[in-house]
Amino acid sequence: MGSINNLGGVLLRYLFSALIIVALVLPASADYKEIFEKEFLNQPWGGEMLAESACIECHSSETMDADLQKIPQEWKTSWHFQNNVSCHDCHGGDPSDAGMSMSHQRGFTGSPKYAEVPDFCGKCHIGILSNYLQSGHGKALLFSGTGPNCVTCHGSHNIQKANIDIIYGRRCTQCHSYERAKVIKQALFLTETKMQAIEDNLRKLKADGVILSEEEKTLFRTQAEFRTLFHTVDVSLVNESTDKFAKILTQLEEEIKATFDELRFRRNFSAFLSLLFIVIGVVLSILSKTYKD
Amino acid sequence: MCKKIINGINARIGLDDLIENRLKRYRITKGTNIFYTLGIVAFFAYMLQAVSGYFLVMYYVPHTEYAFSSTQVIINTVPFGWLVRMVHIVASNLMLIVLFMHLVSIFIMGSYKKPREITWIAGGLLILVTLAFCLSGYLLPWSQRSYWATTIATNIPTAFPVVGDLIANILRGGDNVTAITLNRFFALHVAFLPPLFLFIVGLHMFMVWRIGLSTTPFGEHAGEKEAWPESKRADYKSSDPFIKSSYPFFPNFVLKEAFMISVFLAITFFIISFFPTIFLPEAANTPADPLRTPAHIKPEWYFLAPYQMLKLIPNKFFGISIQIILVGIFLFWPFIDLKKERNILKRPVLLSFIILLLVVWAVLTIWGGYS
Ligand code: HEC
Ligand code: HEC
Ligand code: HEC
Ligand code: HEC
Ligand code: HEC
Ligand code: HEM
Repeated sequence: MGSINNLGGVLLRYLFSALIIVALVLPASADYKEIFEKEFLNQPWGGEMLAESACIECHSSETMDADLQKIPQEWKTSWHFQNNVSCHDCHGGDPSDAGMSMSHQRGFTGSPKYAEVPDFCGKCHIGILSNYLQSGHGKALLFSGTGPNCVTCHGSHNIQKANIDIIYGRRCTQCHSYERAKVIKQALFLTETKMQAIEDNLRKLKADGVILSEEEKTLFRTQAEFRTLFHTVDVSLVNESTDKFAKILTQLEEEIKATFDELRFRRNFSAFLSLLFIVIGVVLSILSKTYKD
Repeated sequence: MCKKIINGINARIGLDDLIENRLKRYRITKGTNIFYTLGIVAFFAYMLQAVSGYFLVMYYVPHTEYAFSSTQVIINTVPFGWLVRMVHIVASNLMLIVLFMHLVSIFIMGSYKKPREITWIAGGLLILVTLAFCLSGYLLPWSQRSYWATTIATNIPTAFPVVGDLIANILRGGDNVTAITLNRFFALHVAFLPPLFLFIVGLHMFMVWRIGLSTTPFGEHAGEKEAWPESKRADYKSSDPFIKSSYPFFPNFVLKEAFMISVFLAITFFIISFFPTIFLPEAANTPADPLRTPAHIKPEWYFLAPYQMLKLIPNKFFGISIQIILVGIFLFWPFIDLKKERNILKRPVLLSFIILLLVVWAVLTIWGGYS
C-alpha cells in the first residue's frame, strides 16, 4: 500500500516538473506554428491549388523590376485570385515549367496592347464584350483608339467586384464632361441600390445560418445581366429595362422579408420556451421548499 | 378509470412498494449539495440529444452530395426542424460544460476515493465517449468547418511512428477525408457509440446507486466514515447518525434534480433565442470544399486546449504521447491519489495542482481561440 502511495507522489512530482518545463520551453521555439501547419494540414489533394505557379514565383522574386514585382501582390487582392483565375489564364503560357513558361509555343500571349484589351478580357466575359463593342466606347476604341478599354475602368491586376462606384468624376472626365456619366449613373442607381440591399440581406441571413440558394442564384443572374447592360453606355436602353429588373427584385425582396419574419418567429418561440422553463424552475423550487429535509 | 388502471398495475408489479422502498426509503444525506445534481442533468442532456437526434436522422442524408443541403432542408423546410437542430447543437455544447462541472466538483469533493474508483473510471470513459460523439457528429453537416476540422483531427494519429498512418487510414477509410469517412463517422455517431454509451452510463449510475451518494468533506455534515450501500440506506429506522440526518431521495432530491434540469433547458432555449449563431460560425454555413483551405481552421472550444498544446510542442510524437499519458493519469487517478483525506483544503499541493491545471487549460483555450 505504502509503495503505491509513494508512486502516486512521484508521478505527481514528475508531472509537475514536466508541465513547468513545457511551459517554459515552448514560447521559446517560435517556428512551431509553421512546422505544425505543415505537418497537420498537409493534404496531398489540396496540392494542386496550393502549388505556386512558376509565373508567380519568378515574378515576385528580386530579379524583377520593382514596378513589375508588385503585380503578383496586387493580383492576390483581386476577385480573380479568389475565383482561381491566375496569370496564365489571362496571359497564356505554361506555369509548370519555369524555363519555357513564357514561350509563345506554350500559348504565351504577352501583355495586350491598349486596343487588344477588350478581346483579351472578352475571352471569358463574352456577353460584356459584345455589349461593349456595340457601345459608343467600343466603337470609339475600334475606329479612333479614343474609347476607354476594360482596364481604364477596372484596372488589370487588382480587379475587384464591380459596382457603380467605378463611375466617378476623375475617371469619367478624362475624355468628356461628367454630364454623360452622371446621367447613366442615375439610370443605374435605383436598381443598383436595390440589388445591393438584397445582397446585404442575403449575407445577413447567411450569417444567421439561413442560406437561400435559389434567391442567391436569381440575384447573381440579375446582377450579371444588369451590369452587362451598362457596357452599352446607352442611357435609354438602361431606362427601358429598369421595369423588367424591378419586377424580379421586388419578388426577391418579398421572399427575404418572409424569411426575416420567420426568424423573428423562431426567436420569440424559443424565448417563450425559455421563459416557460424558468417558470417551471420557480414552481419546482417552491415545491421543494414545502418538503422538509 | 385512471385509478383502476393504476390499481391493476399495482396488483401485478407492486408499484406502491417500488415507490416506497426504492425511492422514498432511499435516503440522501444532508451532506449533499446542488453539485450532486449535475450528473443527472448530464444524463438528461444526453437523452435530449438522443430524441432530437432521432428526428434529425429522419431527414439527414449521409452522402457528400446531400449532407449539407439536407441540413439546410431541416432548418428551412421541415416544420420546427430548426428547433430540433438548434437543440441538438446548443444542448451538446452545454452538456459538455455540465460534464466539466460534474467532473471538477467530484474532484474537489474527493468523491472518487474508495469505494468509488470504478464510478470514476466509468465516468472518465464517458467523457471520452462524449468527445467521440462530438467529433463524429461534427463532420456530418459536411460544411467547410466540419470538413477541415476533421482533416486536422484525423491527421493527428499520423504522429505515431509505424502504426500512425494505419490508425488514421482506418479512421478516414483512406488517405484523406472523403465520402467513406462521412459514412464511417455517421455509423459511429448513430450506431456504434449510443449502445457503448448506454452500457457505460448504466454501469456508472448503477455504481452510484449501489454505493450511495457521497457526502461533501466540507461543512457540518462533513465526512462519511464508510460507504453506504443501498441496503443500509433503505433501513431508515436505523440509529446510525447519518440516517438520522438524511432525507428521502423521492420527492426531495428528485425535485432538486428537476429544478436543475429546468435551469438547463431555460439556458438552452435562451441561447437558441438570443445567440443562435454562437456555435455556428460562418464556415459552418459553407458547404465543404476539399480544394479550398479556409484561412482560420479552429477546432471546437472544448478541443482548443489540447490542440493548442499540440501546436506548442514542436515534436508531434512527443506532444501526443504526453496527452495520452495525461488521459491515462486522469482515468486512473483514484489509484494514484491514495491519501484518505478527502478535504482538498487540507491538501495544499493537490489544491494548487488542480488550480494550476484549470488555469493552464483556460489559458490554452483562450490562446488557441485567438491564434
Ligand atoms: C524565370 C522567370 C520568369 C518566369 C517563370 C515567368 N516570367 Fe514573365 N517575365 C519575366 C521577366 C524578367 C519579364 C520582364 C522582361 C521583359 O519585359 O521581357 C517578364 C515579363 C512578362 C510579361 C510582360 C511581357 C510584355 O510583353 O511586356 C508578362 C505578361 C509575363 N511576364 C507573364 C508571365 C506568365 C503568365 C508567366 C507564367 C506562365 C511568366 N511570366 C513566367 C520573367 C519570368
Ligand atoms: C485578369 C487578367 C490578368 C491576370 C489574371 C493577370 N494579368 Fe498581367 N496583365 C493583364 C493586362 C490586361 C495587362 C496589360 C494592361 C496593363 O498594362 O495593366 C497585363 C500586363 C502584365 C504585365 C506587363 C506590365 C507592364 O507594365 O508592362 C506583366 C509583367 C504581367 N501582366 C504579369 C502578370 C502576372 C505575373 C500575373 C499573375 C500574378 C498576371 N499578370 C495576371 C491582365 C492580367
Ligand atoms: C480566364 C477567364 C477570365 C479572363 C481572361 C478575365 N476574367 Fe474577369 N472574371 C473571370 C471569372 C471566373 C470571374 C469571377 C466570376 C464572376 O464573378 O463573374 C471574373 C470576375 C470579374 C469581375 C468581377 C465581376 C463581379 O461579379 O463583379 C470583373 C470586373 C472582371 N472579371 C473583369 C475582367 C477584366 C477587366 C478582364 C481583362 C483584364 C478580365 N476580367 C479577364 C474570368 C476571367
Ligand atoms: C478614354 C476616354 C473615355 C473615358 C475614360 C470615358 N469615356 Fe465615355 N465616351 C468616350 C468616347 C470616345 C465616347 C463616344 C464618343 C461620343 O459619343 O462623343 C463616350 C461616350 C460616352 C457616353 C455616351 C454613349 C452614347 O452612346 O451616347 C456615355 C454615357 C459615357 N461615355 C459614359 C462614361 C462613363 C460613365 C465613364 C466613366 C466610367 C466614361 N464614359 C469614361 C470616351 C471615354
Ligand atoms: C466605362 C467604364 C467601363 C469599361 C470600359 C468597362 N467596364 Fe466593366 N463595368 C463598369 C461598371 C461601372 C460596372 C458596374 C455596373 C453596375 O454596377 O451596374 C462594370 C461591371 C463589369 C462586370 C461585372 C458584371 C457582373 O457580373 O457583375 C464585369 C465582369 C466587367 N464589367 C467586365 C468588363 C470587361 C471585360 C470590359 C471590357 C470589354 C469592361 N468591363 C469595360 C465599367 C466599365
Ligand atoms: C455522460 C456523462 C456522465 C453522466 C451521465 C453521469 C451521471 C452521473 C450521475 C447521475 C451521478 C449521481 C449524482 C451526481 O453526483 O451527480 C454521478 C455520480 C458520479 N460521477 Fe458521473 N456522470 C457522467 C460523467 C462522469 C465523469 C466524466 C466523471 C469523472 C471522471 C464522473 C464521476 C462520477 C463520480 C465519482 C460519481 C459519484 C459521486 C458521488 O457519489 O458523490 N462522472 N454521475
